[in-house]
This record gives sequence, C-alpha cells and structure tokens, in this order.
Amino acid sequence: MSDRGWRTKRMRKALAAVVYAVLGRGLVASARLDDRVRREVRTWPDGTVVTLRIAPFGPQTSWRVSGGTLEHLGGGDTRADLLVTFKSVDDAIPLLLGMQGVLAAFAEHRATVRGDLAVAMSLVRCLHIVEGYLFPDIMTRRILPHPAERRAGHLRAYGALVHRTAALEGATS
Amino acid sequence: MIPDYYEFCNSAKIVSGVKAIEHIGYELASLGASRPLVLTNKQLRQLKVATMALDALEDTEAEVVAVYDDVPVDSSVAVVNDVARVYRETGADAIVAVGGGSVLDTAKGATIVLTQGAEDLMEYRGAESLMGRRAVAFIAIPTTAGTGSEVTSAAVIKDTDRHVKMGFTSLSLLPDVAILDPRMTVGLPPRLTASTAMDALTHAVESFSCVQVNPLSDCYARAAIDLIREYLPTVMADPKDRGARLALANAALLAGAAFSNAMVGIVHAMGHATGGVADVPHGDAMAILLPHGMTYNLDAAGDRYGELLMNLAGAEVYASTPRDERPAAAIEAVRSMMRTLHEQAGLPLTLGEAGVLPEQISEIATAALNDGAMSMNPKQPTYEELAGILKDAL
Repeated sequence: MSDRGWRTKRMRKALAAVVYAVLGRGLVASARLDDRVRREVRTWPDGTVVTLRIAPFGPQTSWRVSGGTLEHLGGGDTRADLLVTFKSVDDAIPLLLGMQGVLAAFAEHRATVRGDLAVAMSLVRCLHIVEGYLFPDIMTRRILPHPAERRAGHLRAYGALVHRTAALEGATS
Repeated sequence: MIPDYYEFCNSAKIVSGVKAIEHIGYELASLGASRPLVLTNKQLRQLKVATMALDALEDTEAEVVAVYDDVPVDSSVAVVNDVARVYRETGADAIVAVGGGSVLDTAKGATIVLTQGAEDLMEYRGAESLMGRRAVAFIAIPTTAGTGSEVTSAAVIKDTDRHVKMGFTSLSLLPDVAILDPRMTVGLPPRLTASTAMDALTHAVESFSCVQVNPLSDCYARAAIDLIREYLPTVMADPKDRGARLALANAALLAGAAFSNAMVGIVHAMGHATGGVADVPHGDAMAILLPHGMTYNLDAAGDRYGELLMNLAGAEVYASTPRDERPAAAIEAVRSMMRTLHEQAGLPLTLGEAGVLPEQISEIATAALNDGAMSMNPKQPTYEELAGILKDAL
C-alpha cells in the first residue's frame, strides 16, 4: 500500500474509533432515556456481550448486559456473544457517519454476524433509535426505516452522552 | 435496475435429468470421496425413495459407512450434533443427503460442526461469519421440489428449547453437487407437491422484491416462476408426468439459487415464526402468507410485483393489464393459484385452517420481528403491523 493510502486508512480507523466511542456511550444513554431501547435490552440474555468490530484488527466497541441494563465496555478486546464485524473500515464508515442505514449495510454484505440473530435484530432496532438521537432528521430520513421518534430532545441525549450521571437524573426527573 | 453493490455465488454442480442419480458414484469420486454417510429419514426409506440413491451407490467404488435415517420433519440442533458424531465415529468422508429441506439442512448443519471441529452447532449461529473451506464433500439429492436447499447457502434449524427456527447463512453451506432426478419426486402426494411448489414460488417472489435484488437472481426468479406456472398444473393433473416433475424440480432449484443470493423477507420471517411456534409446515405457511406479505409490501415493492405479473400470469394477461393495475393483479394471480391448489389438494387458505390459534399470534409476531429474513424486507413492520397481518391471515 502507498504511504498516502496507508495514512488515509489510519485516519479512517481513527475516525471510526471516535464514532465507536460516541456510539458506545450513545447506546447506554439511549437505554437510560428511551423505554423502547430498555425493553429491547431486557430481552437479551443476562451477561450477553455485544461487540461491533472492524476487521481484521479493530477498532471495536462492546457492551455487556447486566441485570437488564447496558454497560459500555469500551474498545478493548472481549469475548463477544454477538459479534458484528464490518469487512473493512471502508464498509463501516458510511454507516458510522450516518450516510448508510444499518439494514442497507447488511443487504450489501458489508458486515457479518456471529451469534443469535434474534439479538442481532433487536440490536438493529436499538441502533435505529440511537441514530435518531445522534443524527438530524435530514439524515435519519434517508437511513431509518421509519421517521425518527424521540423520547427526549437532541440536547438532552447529547448531555446524557457526556454526563452519564446527569442523564440518570434527567431520565428519572 | 443495477444495485450499487451486490454479490452472487452459485457454485454447486447441477446434475439434472432422468436417471441422474446413477451418476452419484462418479460425482463422489470427482470430489475425492469414497466413504459417504447417507442422510435421510425413515419415511423416505419405507417409500423406497432413499433406496434409489442407496442402490445407485452399491454399484460404485464408494462404501456407504452408515445410513442415518432419524432426521425429523423439523431438523433440530440435537439431530445435527448427532449426525456429526456418527460421521466422525464411522470415519466418513462425505455426506449424501437424500430428502426434503429438513434432511438437506441437517446435512448443512453437520458440515458446519464438522468443518469447525466443534461439538455444538449453536456456537456458529449467524450470517456470513463462517470462515474457511468446508471439510466435508457434500452431495444433495432433493426429494421435494420446494426448498431449493440443494443450491442455497442457507440452512434453517429448529431450536426446540426456544421454539425458534434459526437461520444460518454462509457460502460454505453450498453443496458441491445437486442431483435432480424425477424419480425422486414422482411419488410425491398432490398435497405435498402443492405445498412445496408454493414454497418455491415464495422464494422466487420474495427474492425478486427484497432489498438484495440483483440482475442475476432476477433471472433465476423469473425462470422459476415461469416453470411453476407452466408445469405445476400439469403435475397436479398427472402426478406421474416425469417431464413435468423434472421441470418443477428445476423451478425449485432456480428459486433456491435466486433467494440464496437475494434473500427473502416478511413472508419467510412470518413463516419461520409460524413453524417454530405452531408447527405449521413451511410450505403451507408460505402459501397462506405470500399474498398477505405482498399486500403489506405493495407500496414499497409494487413495481417489482407488477413486473412479475408477466411470469405469474403469462404475457397475454400482462399485456392486457394496465401498468398501474399490474401489482394488484400479481397478488390476485397468487391468490388464484392458491384457490386452485386448495380445491385440488386441500391446501389450507388460512392460518386457522393450518392449526394456528388466536392466542399464538402474539408469540408468532414477536418471533417474526426477530427473524433474520425480516432485515431484507423492503419495509420494516412494527410488532403491531405484524400482528395485524397475521390476524388477517388467521
């Protein structure tokens, strides 16, 4: 690979790592803010570890279900029960930047799934809800199967992303 | 319409024709195998259908190391794991699967366990995640003309504990050779002929209208529907017509290759769930639910259904139907086919007739929502919409 190609790849992976970090906290925040995500997560077996990864060496982000709630495990290596792997960083970027929907990415064979497909389908529905909070309507109209329906405003969702405790207080107030 | 991106693979060698099964020894030798494990079920042995394959294997250099005939109507994880155990214990080097979708999918499941060196199929649930070349030579001989499993990269195995039919997809599930011999399906009762043909029709219609459509699978889907339209009535009128039987077997294969590369959608998601929860035979569920699924998808896939009117009803009907009326006419063509098969063979028209109870709708809708096939449907239904479709079909 040329130097320029290598640098571009590195930059894309760095960008993916940042988005993964946001998405990782975003899903946890959504599970606190939004009863639909909470209901989905409660159907996942306790202890389930869910990982989104870019092949072959990452980056990745993981969550664990614990007592019906989600815990973000960060980008470290974990043993995943449900592993969604993008075949390359170029397959992941359009989805991570809100340019392509999750289902469209699967339809174009851009990711593989190892694990219980029922949990994978539930995760997809959760990601749709998270995308509704992270992206403006002008983007979600193109990538979501239904118009985004939010239980909280963007600002509160972004606040929950940054301050987990504040999100808890906000969600219960 | 060319999609931005698509993949297509149909690597199985097709051996189709009268006495094609007599080539089984040659095909095994070509694969470098000589100790096949034959997988079938007891009913097919009693009916002497599996015997034809075993007889064909007798006059070859191959030595059948075991005949496993305990495959149930709905294959399960336990059966798959047991087949893998027998394969290892007998030192087999190939699987020859003789049967319908259940037998063929059991064989596929066993090849996963054997290739991955695992003990339990459940470790390998997923989609497109299996790596490496299959370690087992695999010949598929279908005895129904419906599932198309002989050329698909998919397998459906029941998790009997959770009452869920699980999907596995991987190119490593594609058989090496698919043998279509009309003698294998000529004795199929009219009821089963009708049910399995509707399964093949559903594969073709859904693969033509779901989100993974591509120009190659479109050709297979259209050809499959043409053959079903032309030869299903012939077979229903004269079940012993070997030419028509072979045509239907080819229709199922073509539809299988289509959906293996373009996937299926809401009808299969609901059908898997109906089978898992209420034990409705897959073909019956497909027949009942196909017009309902098409009606739900009408605003998202109507143009594609309109194109299929040519294949479902023929050129004259297509030409005489105004363009904007073709999608609805395509659904009506399916309903008309259903009514005819109901009169000829007693195919159920509703889920209620198939034994589904109103109180099972909720569980079926939930399972359908979580079925992998749903992800490829052109529209994503809510739980409430799914429950509504199922109630309409009740």
